[in-house]
Amino acid sequence: MTAPTAPARTRTFVQALTEALDLMMAEDENVYLLGEDIGRMGGDFGVTRGLFEKYGAERVRDTPLSEAAIVGTAVGSAMVGMRPVAEIMFADFLGECYDQLVNNAAKLHYMFDGQFKAPIVVRTACGGGFGGGPHHSQSVEGWFLNVPGLVIVGPATPADAKGLLVASIADDNPVLFLEHKALYRVKGPVPEGKYAVPLRQAAVSRPGRDLTIVAYLKMTPEALAAAEVLAKDGIEAEVIDLRTLRPWDTDTVLSSVRRTGRAVVASEAPRMGGLAADVSATIAEECWSDLKAPVGRVGALDTPIPFSLVLEKIILPGRDQIVQAARQVLGAQPVA
Amino acid sequence: MPLDLEQLLDLYRDMWLVRAFEFGLEREFKKGTVPGMLHTGVGQEATQAALAAHLEKTDCFFPDHRCHGLNALAQERHAGTGQRIMAELFGRATGVCGGKGGSLHSADPSVGNFGDNAVEGSFMATVLGVALAWKMRRQPRVACCVIGDGTVGRGEFHESLNLAATWKLPVLYACVNNGYAISTPVGEAHASANIVDLARGYGLPCVQVDGNDIELAYAAVEQAVAHIRAGHGPYFLEFKTWRWQGLFSGEFRPAAEVRYWKDEHDPLKLARQKILATGRAAEAAVDQIEAEAKAQIERWIQFAIASPMPGSEKATANVYVGWEAASR
Repeated sequence: MTAPTAPARTRTFVQALTEALDLMMAEDENVYLLGEDIGRMGGDFGVTRGLFEKYGAERVRDTPLSEAAIVGTAVGSAMVGMRPVAEIMFADFLGECYDQLVNNAAKLHYMFDGQFKAPIVVRTACGGGFGGGPHHSQSVEGWFLNVPGLVIVGPATPADAKGLLVASIADDNPVLFLEHKALYRVKGPVPEGKYAVPLRQAAVSRPGRDLTIVAYLKMTPEALAAAEVLAKDGIEAEVIDLRTLRPWDTDTVLSSVRRTGRAVVASEAPRMGGLAADVSATIAEECWSDLKAPVGRVGALDTPIPFSLVLEKIILPGRDQIVQAARQVLGAQPVA
Repeated sequence: MPLDLEQLLDLYRDMWLVRAFEFGLEREFKKGTVPGMLHTGVGQEATQAALAAHLEKTDCFFPDHRCHGLNALAQERHAGTGQRIMAELFGRATGVCGGKGGSLHSADPSVGNFGDNAVEGSFMATVLGVALAWKMRRQPRVACCVIGDGTVGRGEFHESLNLAATWKLPVLYACVNNGYAISTPVGEAHASANIVDLARGYGLPCVQVDGNDIELAYAAVEQAVAHIRAGHGPYFLEFKTWRWQGLFSGEFRPAAEVRYWKDEHDPLKLARQKILATGRAAEAAVDQIEAEAKAQIERWIQFAIASPMPGSEKATANVYVGWEAASR
């Protein structure tokens, strides 16, 4: 169930997610979905479209606006062998079920000494750039990075979206599955049938020799666009897409940086206390003797996200900020 | 319907196990042999014995922080290993969670104990999932959660009752109303001092019972469990009771109130009166039950003290299923 064998077709990110849910539900009746407006309506972004008609109200359950009850129900049912996939409409709403994820799902296996496990997936739409305002635009991974026991996944391509969701549902750990709203309509090749993209494994999205750009979610296409700009100057950037954000793949990142000697880490979240900080610190700790320049770090300004698109553009990073950070890292003189 | 003598004696023994467990624990806690925090269920023995009597090991219960007794009774009844609850409270390797859970996180699914969550009320959301799974599988089981009156303030209380009633889930809500959330009287924290008044709006059967009268408590749980097993959906039971343990700094409640609950309405005294009133049990035999329960608890304490501490490898075990914990 790992590598895809069937040919790829062009699908949107949303369609790729729907295919993953459909395949897993068809295969295992313990897999069921719950969330707000996921039934007849097919979810706010259409990820569960068609599944209510195919699998019925029992396995595609509409819920009230009760995020704690949604995730709590998922956890409780997982304790007795179900494999729930919960949808939290917007990642910003995770505050309402924070306790269920952090104190319950992530700690069950440890505090009860292995007697329970919580194989749940909580899918949610994150990220900004579309005028969603302060409560529909945030990058929330930093809220959860400090929680041992939790897995955080964030795909950047339609093919990975499908394969990572299959792997997340099959995995026995609680997975927070982040879906960036700006990627939902992106199209790409998606292999037919069932395949899994392994968790905790980053992808080298573009090989290069001059510097390493570590990115995830929407920053991955932004980093690839930045690499194109840099290539015009003859700079070959290697782009690494983390895919699993916690625990993240240190091997792939560190071996790349050891080779290139320069690194930029890009995240859409504020820099303070974020994943980019953890990746940067780890590179500094582990690759000190290989580094030719300080690690560059790209993130959002340290503000909430405003409604106005003009203001939002000032705050959220993208291709240009990554290019700028790369040039700075490339221009720095090697430590003597 | 009054209980027969045999049943009464069994329940009396269970109630004494609960009280002796808590008193023994309190003594050890003061000596410093029990780490962490301690919340005892002295005064609430009848509710715990009544619940333990009706929950099968294929059912489940989420115990609250004053349910050491219920945990021990379930462990003893279904596995014959009540001492493992004691060992857990001492943080020992022989405890039900190998010492990793302690007083606030003791669990053993093989006896139906799905574990406490020390964020009061969080498991009111979790219990929905267990109940939903059983309903989807057409299994006539009872998913119970034991909560205090303080938990009524949590959002999960309302989310849980609403969803259990809407989806007709097999949930037994056992609300132990002991009058206070730490220091706050129930009537000052909630719109009604009677929790059933608040629960009733969700459209499930809500019954309030004297939680210190073992016969009434037993009958109430029996009726609730029968309702749930028959597939009629959730049921809310409120046990009116009182805890002996005051605040960490001592007693804060009016003297008359303390006197009433400890002297006139003590669940063990009431049960003893009922037994003797049958005229078919000798006082010495009843005393013997109490003495045996106390002796059993002392053996459990000795077991806990003699048990090894968890091995250091346990510190990083079981963070993730199937993966080693990160080393950094």
